[in-house]
Amino acid sequence: MQRTRRKRLNRIAVFAMLTLGISLTVISGIYLSSFLAILGVGIVFWGAVLLYITPARHVPLTLLNASTAANAGNTERILTELNLTEKGRYLPPKYLKNYESSLIFIPEKPIQPLPKREETTEEKLTSKNPSGVFLTPPGMALSKLFEQQLRVSFTKTDLSYLQQNLPKLLIEHMEIAETAEIQTQNDKITIELTGNILNEICQETQKHPRTHEAVGCLLSSAIACAIAKATGKAVIIEKETQTPDNKTTRIEYQILEE
Amino acid sequence: MQLPPLTFMDTSLLLTIGAIILLITAELASPYYGHTNLTINKKKLKNAALASGTLFLITVAIRIINIITQT
Repeated sequence: MQRTRRKRLNRIAVFAMLTLGISLTVISGIYLSSFLAILGVGIVFWGAVLLYITPARHVPLTLLNASTAANAGNTERILTELNLTEKGRYLPPKYLKNYESSLIFIPEKPIQPLPKREETTEEKLTSKNPSGVFLTPPGMALSKLFEQQLRVSFTKTDLSYLQQNLPKLLIEHMEIAETAEIQTQNDKITIELTGNILNEICQETQKHPRTHEAVGCLLSSAIACAIAKATGKAVIIEKETQTPDNKTTRIEYQILEE
Repeated sequence: MQLPPLTFMDTSLLLTIGAIILLITAELASPYYGHTNLTINKKKLKNAALASGTLFLITVAIRIINIITQT
């Protein structure tokens, strides 16, 4: 209610500015006054700028936390029911029916091959050969949002593209973190973020230990989807840690060789 | 009624002041300085700053061309 009132007041103020500016410009033409002309055109300019720069619509983080908590709870129930303790494998596009989607395979046993492409229909929950569970990654939608912002499909990129563009995307475009750094070492990728605004959601996921271990948090899952698409190889979230003051997040990924 | 008595230099000056203010604001509001909780649409602010800056540079170019052709 208050926001709508403020928005309406903003609009009225901007249109008042534009009207005043145009009136002054017209009056300057009648009285041939340069001062009024400069003043009028200046007010019109700033009115137009303020009309164009509208405030961005922001959603409180608590609302986001509340809406994601249930998903983690459901995943935890599935993993507990099927007694799965292995880390989830973020499957690359070649293992999927839909190249642009993402899927996690959580195997029953530690050393198992990845499922064949025919097995990975998105509607299926369990796989018999190899035995395990398919889950939709919690960060899949966020990863697609990354692609929309970068105007590229990660399937058409590589790891160096991610290394160059992901920090800029997280800091500048999405404003998710204050700093972001990606380091690669052979088949290990480490991402260090400070001021990550999705930390609160991650803390909510940590209340479900199996989910946190197998699937990861919202952001780590989204980045895992991106890495799996860019490298064309399966990825697991090895470790995700936060400093006690919750300022820095460190995510370690492992690329699985076939 | 006549057209507002604005010279080319006046317009250029107005654009200069606008561009400087907008460019400085866009830079200071950048998330690189940790201002991630500003509710202003930074992309649009940056676009407006770049547009007014470009317009100012165009007026400068026109002035330079005028000076060259007059001499």
